[in-house]
Amino acid sequence: MNAITAEKMVLAFIGCVTFLIVALLFSILAIMFIKGLPAMHGGFLFDESRDFGRAGGIFYQSAGTLILMGVTVLWSLPVALGSVLFQTEYLESGKFKTFLTQLTYILNATPTILFGLVGYLFFGVYLEAGVSWVTGSLILAVMILPTLQVSIREAVEALPEKYREAGMALGLSRPAQIWRIILPQSFYGMVTGVLLGLARAAGETAAIMFTATTFSGIRFPQSFSDPVPTLQTHILVLAQEAANPESIAQAWGAGLVLLGLVFLLTLAAWAFRTRMVMESEL
Amino acid sequence: MKAGFGRGLFGTHHSEPVGWVFAAMNFIFFLCAVGLGLFLVVESVPILRSEGWGFLLGENWWVGETFGALPMICGSLIVTGLAIFLVLPVALSGALFTSEYLPSSFRRRVKGIMELLAGVPGIIYGLLGVSFLTVGVKDVLNLLDGNTLFTAGFLLAIMILPTVLTLSEDALHSVPSEFREAAESLGLTKLQIALWVVLPQSLPGIVGAVLLGIGRAMGETIAVMLVIGSLDRVPGFNLFVSGQTIPSKLGREAVEALGSGLHWSALMGLGLTLFIMVAVLTFFGNLFVRRSSQ
Repeated sequence: MNAITAEKMVLAFIGCVTFLIVALLFSILAIMFIKGLPAMHGGFLFDESRDFGRAGGIFYQSAGTLILMGVTVLWSLPVALGSVLFQTEYLESGKFKTFLTQLTYILNATPTILFGLVGYLFFGVYLEAGVSWVTGSLILAVMILPTLQVSIREAVEALPEKYREAGMALGLSRPAQIWRIILPQSFYGMVTGVLLGLARAAGETAAIMFTATTFSGIRFPQSFSDPVPTLQTHILVLAQEAANPESIAQAWGAGLVLLGLVFLLTLAAWAFRTRMVMESEL
Repeated sequence: MKAGFGRGLFGTHHSEPVGWVFAAMNFIFFLCAVGLGLFLVVESVPILRSEGWGFLLGENWWVGETFGALPMICGSLIVTGLAIFLVLPVALSGALFTSEYLPSSFRRRVKGIMELLAGVPGIIYGLLGVSFLTVGVKDVLNLLDGNTLFTAGFLLAIMILPTVLTLSEDALHSVPSEFREAAESLGLTKLQIALWVVLPQSLPGIVGAVLLGIGRAMGETIAVMLVIGSLDRVPGFNLFVSGQTIPSKLGREAVEALGSGLHWSALMGLGLTLFIMVAVLTFFGNLFVRRSSQ
């Protein structure tokens, strides 16, 4: 009898802990809404920030984040797609494949600030791109490479063997097989990877704070060597003025927008992943 | 790598131009990954030459005079140690409940929520930390300054919770159901099965989850930088003082040192130290996780 009571108590305890963990997401969301909504006056999304971020909106910051994200995927997708197709369709040495997979894991776990340091030195100093949106997007492109690779590889490897066999039976050459069968069939995996990569790039601060952005006085980049303002670094600067209520209020507003962007991308990625699973079960 | 393209690696398709394009893309990926490590090594040479082992063991970081990384290394170890100490009981409870007691539809929902939580940007945690956690720590513990090693460790614990929970849950869930059925036929209760059969079976996977969680915590920059107080000093046994981790130091000083001089090399040396620690943790973490999923 006693043992059963003890068991029930343990069960109740770990149940409560699980509930609290799940509630964590909702409390973070609730805090962001409660703190962020007051900043969302009419033109918050479409106004320029004024008075060193203490007033006005976040238009150019949002634009900067979107520019960085978009260009990042432009750099990263061809490399990710090409390297995955090389590894799955052409490479025959198992050992080298395992080695490359390990590299993907290590790159995925590398602290993001190191991408910023090394990337600045390589792209910014050696390739003379300076502190600019080009440097920032190249750095982010290397950073999200593993995210894209993992998603694309999952999609390619999930393809039923019979599809390839059908292609071979039709006498398709390897490039034709990739173009006609593998790419169309793993399309949803690619989209999932791109969306997750975009979300990762949108949420990243450490890698771009001293390589791609400056705080105030800039709008759209006019050339390849211009920095952009971003939401992430905007929040970073404002958060460090914690004593100033106006700055913090603006930081919450920008934070809500950034979190909304990241969650939206993640949810969209899930929608595509579900499509992928459904199609592969046909 | 190039020398191997002939037959062994490339199979019989080395005459296809498309294949060469893919190979080039793969080579770019290879260069990015290996180049990152090589750059860190090459750029750290000046500081290692001028300070020797004193770089890792020195207690003072005075720009222009001497560079000692010990305060940052200790700070990183303490903060991540604290984070994993705080997160482990919570994450394991959650993982056990999710894997052994929740029906599969709820299980999938919990996993989804963990994936969303894992995606919350570090800067958001930093903002929450600056606004609530530092103030809370300061008031509750009656300190002069809420920016402490403890604050950073606590925040990191929240940040790595989804990673550790999801990966340990995977490990628990991948234990074959025959084990559970055999234990049930011996008359064990569900909790006994979970604790004495499933948990030991999935230990490698849980160790892997913890190692990967430590790796993530060790590299977090922004959130830690905002709440740790940024004070270079070898902390004693007091968690409630300001400190510094390797990434927070890099985040604070990268702008001043950009690109040249011994100061920059010292920062790259710190980066190399961090890279090696995280790479080792990740390697073994993945090894354990993969062994458990087989």
